[in-house]
Amino acid sequence: MIVATFVVFSLVYMMPGDPAMMIAGDYATAERIAEIRQIYGFDRPMLVQYFFWLGNAVQGDLGHSLFSNESVLRLILSRLPHTVLLVLYALVLGAALGIPLGILAATRQGTTLDKIITSVASLGVAVPNFWLGIILVTLFSLGYRWFPATGAVSVFEKPLESLYYATLPAVALSTGVVAVLARQVRSALLEVLGSQYIRTLRAKGLGSGAILWKHGLRNVAATMLTIAGLQVNRLFSSAVIIEAVFAIPGVGNLISYSALNKDFPVVQGVALVLVLVVILTNLLVDVLNATFDPRVAAST
Amino acid sequence: MTTNLFGKIPDISRRSLLAGTVAAGGLALLPAMARAQAPQPRSGGTLRAVMPFNPAALDPLTGRNNPDFNALLLMFDALIGFDPQTLELQPMLATSWKFTDPTTLVLELRQGVEFHDGTPFNAEAVVFHLQRCSTYDRSNVKSDLAVVDKVEATGAYQVSLKLKYPDATLPAILTDRAGLIVSPASVKAAAGGNVDRTPVGTGPFKFVEWQDNTLIKVVKNANYWGDKPYLDGVDMRIVNEFNTAVRTVTAGESDIVLNMSAQQMAVAKRDPKLVAEATPSMIYYTAFLNYGEGPLKDVRVRQAMNWALDRPVLNQVLWGGLGGGHCSMFPSGFWANDPATENFYKLDLDRAKSLLKAAGFANGIEIATFTWADQAAVQRQEVLSAQLAEAGIRLKVTPAQPAQTMQYFLTEKKGQMLMTPTGGLPDPATAYDRQFSATAYRNAAKIELPGYRELMDASMNTFDNAKRKDVLHKMQRFVLENALHLPQFSSAGIIIRTPKVHGFNFSLLQRPRFHKVWMEA
Repeated sequence: MIVATFVVFSLVYMMPGDPAMMIAGDYATAERIAEIRQIYGFDRPMLVQYFFWLGNAVQGDLGHSLFSNESVLRLILSRLPHTVLLVLYALVLGAALGIPLGILAATRQGTTLDKIITSVASLGVAVPNFWLGIILVTLFSLGYRWFPATGAVSVFEKPLESLYYATLPAVALSTGVVAVLARQVRSALLEVLGSQYIRTLRAKGLGSGAILWKHGLRNVAATMLTIAGLQVNRLFSSAVIIEAVFAIPGVGNLISYSALNKDFPVVQGVALVLVLVVILTNLLVDVLNATFDPRVAAST
Repeated sequence: MTTNLFGKIPDISRRSLLAGTVAAGGLALLPAMARAQAPQPRSGGTLRAVMPFNPAALDPLTGRNNPDFNALLLMFDALIGFDPQTLELQPMLATSWKFTDPTTLVLELRQGVEFHDGTPFNAEAVVFHLQRCSTYDRSNVKSDLAVVDKVEATGAYQVSLKLKYPDATLPAILTDRAGLIVSPASVKAAAGGNVDRTPVGTGPFKFVEWQDNTLIKVVKNANYWGDKPYLDGVDMRIVNEFNTAVRTVTAGESDIVLNMSAQQMAVAKRDPKLVAEATPSMIYYTAFLNYGEGPLKDVRVRQAMNWALDRPVLNQVLWGGLGGGHCSMFPSGFWANDPATENFYKLDLDRAKSLLKAAGFANGIEIATFTWADQAAVQRQEVLSAQLAEAGIRLKVTPAQPAQTMQYFLTEKKGQMLMTPTGGLPDPATAYDRQFSATAYRNAAKIELPGYRELMDASMNTFDNAKRKDVLHKMQRFVLENALHLPQFSSAGIIIRTPKVHGFNFSLLQRPRFHKVWMEA
C-alpha cells in the first residue's frame, strides 16, 4: 500500500502544473504565488512532502483539500457511499443478466441463441459506458421521464429513492459486466461440461439438469467470483465518467476534479481508499473461493 | 450624495450595450400577446440554479475564481456596487466615496445594516475587514490592497484609507473580493479565522449549507437593508460537466444554468421550452505572447499574426456570433473601449506576409504554442491555426490542462505563445496591469515596452473621468500598435433557463445578484 501511495504521489507531483497558481487564482501576482508555495511547503523536495503526508496519514489525518480546504477524509466519506452503491448495483445487475446468459449460451452451444448472446456480449464490451449513459438519459429521463437525469440521494437517508436515482447510471455501467461474465461463464462452463468426469457422470446416467446445477456451475463458481472481483475494480474506474455524465457526487467525480486542480492531498486520499477497496475485494474473493471450492481451502 | 468617479459616461448607452446582446429563444419566440400580458414580480419559491464550478471558498478573501461570485454575491454585499451593464460604480454598503486628496479615499457607510449573525455593520467592521485583507496569511487579495498604507475609522460610519501613492482603481477594487465585507464576529469565532465554509455577510441571502462540489443552499435574509429578495431561497447545484448541467434544466430538475458556452447554447436553442441568453462579457479570448525573446521579440511578427486573423469569422465559428469579433480587450460600448481602435487589426494577408518578409521570415515562421486540451479549446486552436497558416504562420501546438499550460509558458518559459481566455476585472487599468506590467504573472517576458509605464501610471493617477478615459484609450492603442497579445474575440455570458425565471442579470463581469430574480408560480 505504501508503494501504491508513493507511486500516486510521484505521478501527481510530476504532472505539470503549479498547485500554488491554482490556489492563488486567475489574477494572482507572481509575488502571491511565491508566498503560497512557501506557506504550503510546495518549495520543499518531493520526498519531504511525501513523508510529511505519510506521517499524517498513518495517524488518520489525510490532510485538507488544497482547493476547498475541506478535510480529505470527510470529503471521501461523504462521497464513497454514492460510488459504492453505484458499483454494487451495477455488479448485481451485471451478474443477474450475465451469468444466466453465459449458461444459456454454453448449454446451447453453436445454436442461433448462442451466436446472438456472444455477439451481444462483444458489443457490450465495446460500447462506451458514457455514450450508453447519454442514450439512456435521452430516452428514459428527457423522453419518457421515468428516471431522473442527474443527481443522487443518500442511501442511508432514503434507501429506495437512492436506488431509483442510481438505476440509469448502474445500467450504463453494468453492460461491461454483463458482457464479460456471459463470455467467461460460457467458456468456463463449456470446458467443465466437456471434461472427463462430466462424461463419466453422463455415462452413469445422471440427468443434464443435475450435471449442470450440481457439478457444472459449482466448478465454474470460482471463475465467476474471480471475474466479478476484477469487475469491481474496473467498475470503480469506470464510475469516474458515469458520475460526470449523471452528476453523481461520488469519489470518481472527486478524483477527476481534484486531479485537474492538482489537489494532490485529495488525489492521494482517494487513491489510498481505492487501493484498500482492491485489496479487500481480492481478499473477499479468496475467502468465497475457499468456501465454494474445498480444493482451494485445502491448498491454503 | 454619491461621488462617482466615472459619473454618467455619455457615450455608453444601454442600447449600445444591448446591441451586442443576443437573446436566442425566449422573448423573441414569445408571441406578442404573451409579452403584452407579462407576469408581474411575485415573492416566493426556491430557485434551483446550476453552475459548473465548485467555489474554492465562500470567504471572499480566500476564494480565487470568477465563477465563485455566483455564490458570493448571494451572501455578501460589497462596499461599492456597480451597474451590471456598464460597470459604472454605484452605492452599496458605502453610500458615497471621495478622494479628499490623491492619496486619501473617504467612504461614508450605510447605517442600520446588520450582518446575518445580528452584529452591526459599521466603520469598525470595515476597518477589521480591510486589515484582514492585507494581513490574513490565506488572503488572495493582498495585492489588490497593496496601495493601502493605513485604514482608520474616522467616524462611526466613516472610513478613511490612506494610500502609499495615488490609485484611481481603488473604488473599483472595492466592488471586488476585497470589498465584500465579512462579519468580524464570524471571523473571530472561527478557528484560525477560517470562514471558508461559514460565510456571514450582509447580503440578501443567508448561508445554510455547502456540500462540496454538490450544492450550496441559501435562504432569504428577511432583514436585508435593501429591496427584499423575491425568492425564499436559492439551491445552487454544482454540476461540472457542461452538457450534464444543461440536461438538468431540460429534464426540469433545475430552473437556470449559468456559465455555459456557445455549444450548450446551440443545444438549448433547439428546445422550445427553454430560454438561452447571451450578454456581453468582459471575458475575452486571446493568446499571451512572449515578446521578450525569440521571433516574437520583433513587433513585425506580432503584428503579422494580428493582421492574419479574421476575427468576425472566429466569433461566428467559435462563439456562434454571440461575442464580439474585434481586437479590443473590452466589449463594444464599454467606457474604456475606444471604438476607433477596436478594429485596429482586420484581416489583411498581404500586409501580414510583407511584415513577415520584412522581419526576415519570407518563407513563413513556426510558433510554438500551448492551448487547453478540452474539445472547445482544441477547436479554437484548429481554426486559429488555419487562419494563421494562410499568412505562413505555422503553429506548433501542445495541448494540456490549464494549470499545466500556465506552468510551461509562464513559469518554465517554454514556447512563444499561450492561447487562453482571460479578463473579467472590474477596472480596465487593472486588466492591463495584470497582463502587461513587468510584475504581472501573465507577462511571460517580464518586461515593459518603452511608453507602457507612463500610460499605466497615468491610468492610476488620473481621477478625472474624461481624462481617464482618454488615457485608457491611449493604452488600448499602445497595446494594439505594439501587438502585445493576439486578441481574437470577446465572449458572452451565457445562461439557459426556463421561461418561469425572471429578473436575472449576469452583468458584464458575469457576476449575478439574485435578489431581483423572481419566478412564476
